[in-house]
Amino acid sequence: MNMNDTHEVISAFLDDEPFDPSALAAALSDPEGRAQLIDLIALRHVTQPGREAIAAMQPKRRSGLRALLAAAAMVVALVGGYAIGQRQSESGRSEAPPATSVLEAPAAWQRLPSGGQ
Amino acid sequence: MTVDPEVLFVANQPRLFRYFLRAVGQIETARDLTQDVFVRVSRTAVPQVPDGEVRAWLFRIARNLALDHHRRHQRQPLPVALAVDAGRPPSQEVDAAVNEALATLSDLDRDVFLMREMAGLGYDEIARVCDLTPDAVRSRIHRARLELRAQLATPIATRRTIPMRHSGREP
Repeated sequence: MNMNDTHEVISAFLDDEPFDPSALAAALSDPEGRAQLIDLIALRHVTQPGREAIAAMQPKRRSGLRALLAAAAMVVALVGGYAIGQRQSESGRSEAPPATSVLEAPAAWQRLPSGGQ
Repeated sequence: MTVDPEVLFVANQPRLFRYFLRAVGQIETARDLTQDVFVRVSRTAVPQVPDGEVRAWLFRIARNLALDHHRRHQRQPLPVALAVDAGRPPSQEVDAAVNEALATLSDLDRDVFLMREMAGLGYDEIARVCDLTPDAVRSRIHRARLELRAQLATPIATRRTIPMRHSGREP
């Protein structure tokens, strides 16, 4: 068994896999084992992708903007509709209806029977 | 119990993306390959097996896609010479150095390492994906780490001067 084999327990420990505590104790009693432990934790940090890369996975979040735009469109529609309605009602009541002529029947007027009777 | 392919995919999407990101070294390609996994999963009946085995099944699909990608592109994209772009920010230089170092590992050692470090799979799951024993997985992961440790000595030495977490997350 070479040194790498004896120090595999360090990887098992780092990965939260089952390990033999006495084997870990033996590995960490060796200065190289202790250096490996620290270096492998540092390696874990070094190999993690950057935040920008992870953020690139997420589809761009537009839902907030979309909701804002929808609300803005609703306000514009309501205000516009109200303004147009106001204008039309104002133009509708601007002119008075024409005067009504009342005709009265003359005193000599007689009602005739229908159907020539 | 029936597993909904979409639920399975959504639950594992970040792991898949991180795995592909280091396996192919390109964000766009990693995103496309992650989507390809979903396409394949949605076309296939998810096997009725315990949770750990379902994830292994998912990553077997992912691994095949990554290997196909490498075959098609003859493993060209990973290595990026550090000297080419002197104006690159330090984080990108480290990123490129990591990709270069990963490219020198054997396909199997690299996949075993990435499934552990990027996807967070356990040794048993990795063993199922790669048709290995858990002991062989442990040996390969440790060997890959020692090779990467040798190749990334400078960024590791720099990182050792900053507080660290055991998990690898930023403190």
